[in-house]
Amino acid sequence: MDSVPGRARHLESAVSICLLAVIFLIGIGVFIKQSDYDMSRFGISATPIEPQSQPPVLTREKKPVLTSLKPQGFDALSETEVYEPENLYEKINGKAPLYIDSGFVKLFTQRFVSESDEDLWMELFVYDMATTKNAFSVYSVQRRADADILSLFHPSNGYRTSNALYFIHGKYYIELIGSSESGELSKAMKAAAQNIQTSLVVDKAATIPELSLFPQENLIPGSTKLYLANAFGFEGLSDTFTAQYKIDGETIMVFLSEQPGITEAKTMAENYRKFLIENGAIPKKAIDQSLEGKTFDFYGTTEIVFSVGQFVVGIHEAENQQAAEKVARLFVEKFRMFTEAVSDE
Amino acid sequence: MSNKENNSFGRRRFLARAGKAGIAIAGCGIASYLLYDPTGPRPGVEAEDLVTLADFSVPRKQGQTMCIVQGPDRTKTVNKVIELLGGIERFVESGDTVAIKPNVAFATPAMLGATANPELVAEVVRLCYKGGAKKVIVTDNPINDPASCFTLSGVGKAASQAGGKVVLPKTHLFKHTTLTDGRLIKNWPIFYEPFEKADKLIGISPIKHHHRAGASMSMKNWYGLLGGRRNVFHQDINTIIAELAMMVKPTLVILDGTEVMMTNGPTGGSVSDLKRANTMIASTDCVAADSYGCGLLNLKISDLPYLAKAEEAKAGTNNYKSLNPIFATIS
Repeated sequence: MDSVPGRARHLESAVSICLLAVIFLIGIGVFIKQSDYDMSRFGISATPIEPQSQPPVLTREKKPVLTSLKPQGFDALSETEVYEPENLYEKINGKAPLYIDSGFVKLFTQRFVSESDEDLWMELFVYDMATTKNAFSVYSVQRRADADILSLFHPSNGYRTSNALYFIHGKYYIELIGSSESGELSKAMKAAAQNIQTSLVVDKAATIPELSLFPQENLIPGSTKLYLANAFGFEGLSDTFTAQYKIDGETIMVFLSEQPGITEAKTMAENYRKFLIENGAIPKKAIDQSLEGKTFDFYGTTEIVFSVGQFVVGIHEAENQQAAEKVARLFVEKFRMFTEAVSDE
Repeated sequence: MSNKENNSFGRRRFLARAGKAGIAIAGCGIASYLLYDPTGPRPGVEAEDLVTLADFSVPRKQGQTMCIVQGPDRTKTVNKVIELLGGIERFVESGDTVAIKPNVAFATPAMLGATANPELVAEVVRLCYKGGAKKVIVTDNPINDPASCFTLSGVGKAASQAGGKVVLPKTHLFKHTTLTDGRLIKNWPIFYEPFEKADKLIGISPIKHHHRAGASMSMKNWYGLLGGRRNVFHQDINTIIAELAMMVKPTLVILDGTEVMMTNGPTGGSVSDLKRANTMIASTDCVAADSYGCGLLNLKISDLPYLAKAEEAKAGTNNYKSLNPIFATIS
């Protein structure tokens, strides 16, 4: 190997020393700067996103459409605001985890005010929840008890209260919150909802097939809810739908959770029964023989848990055992259509 | 030079260079070990620049620590609770600057109950002036668009009309603080300046369900003093609320249970989230006030772990009955 000429060797050394010096200075800089770290400033990036940089929803004109969703006779009172998981708390504070844990992607909001009365205003919240199922979950768990179902929506998908309107549209969960309980505002919110339904493009094929699994007889309209995880505090009981039935004057809550297969459903039902017993449930005699061993007394209420095919089905905290078992039988019969094997019986 | 000599020279050079490289790597390793900071990064504020909120509390009076008045009219009930606790003169002295910290966290209308009631705030401002206050400041630090929060909630207008000076948060009004014995509040920016010149501090908050904390009442109201990316504290919400109760020693807290947000808090959204409870609570002990308030949400004291934590930290008592609260009813 030829030796490197002396001049070139010195040049190499000089360059190397310079490079090392630069690296050393960078190291010193990093060392000094990290002492300055302030978590309150850099803990989480929460820079608001300019609406223009990423339109909330796109029309054919490729413009943000929240303003265009306003009802007739109303003007924009504020700009469209956009929030992501990192800064959602800025808008809704402690309710942010409810959305984030349910697949939240973005929130778009804007206020609209009446042209004739500045005290009449509403705020539109459009939550992009990624999927229809996620949107249904956050919608359903917040559903108000005094909900007034509108013909505008499917009973499971929308309602209004005296000052607000709530519904899902594809993957979006939408709230229209009014500043008062005025009839004029209520009409305007309905008009805005219609605008949204016609203008906001969504995948109409995306539905929630599980909703059709609930027998319609005696079902209380709009009572279906979806808990994406840890239903009734039981870890593992995910994607659990609940609904209420009115039977013999009693209101009975039923739950339904689809599992990957028959074996998994059996195991999940068994595990949930163990969970109930660990928490104070006591097995009790069932009126219906087929529900024997699956019926419990839980602090004066009746719990029933069984599996049918790949589904875990149960009755939760029923005050009347007879009515609870009647509802349970409705499900057994319904699911017999899907599978002859009532696996847990 | 022969090939053999060249090879021999190359090996020597190789070994020398490898040795130097080894020493350099070892040096780096030793330097890294010595410079390693197991406690993590430190905030940029020096200890001498840290501030501490003053103690705004007034001396305790046996049997006059807490008062609960039933009635539908906030103006009447708040006057009564203060009267029964010894009158506004007990809390506000002539020439005082009083800071009022209402919960104005959201840009929502007053009727939704997500923010302090504007008429209640206005009445407390008037009472403070009646007690001899020289100046009454009304302030909060909502993260999102403070001006809209004060405007749309109605608190800004009501407070101003009653003579209060509304102070909106601005960057220069924040200073860093560290809570002695605190685990979370360390070198953290707080909304400080409006309170620096105040002699008294009164908190006003509605009673609300809170998705994360279980309930938002007078202790949670101090969350508004925190600056920075305060959402990081949501991961340990019970500890931060307890630490806030340790950090803030108010003159008085007024907990408004006239209408209680029972579900979908803390934002609510529908008037149907509210339930009329017609209850006004005032106390010099915010832990005691919240311990009573949780009952209006159908919660037990044990349902809110921050109450036990705050009591353990001696920020107050969650055994409010031990204070012999005064009960009254007005029409």
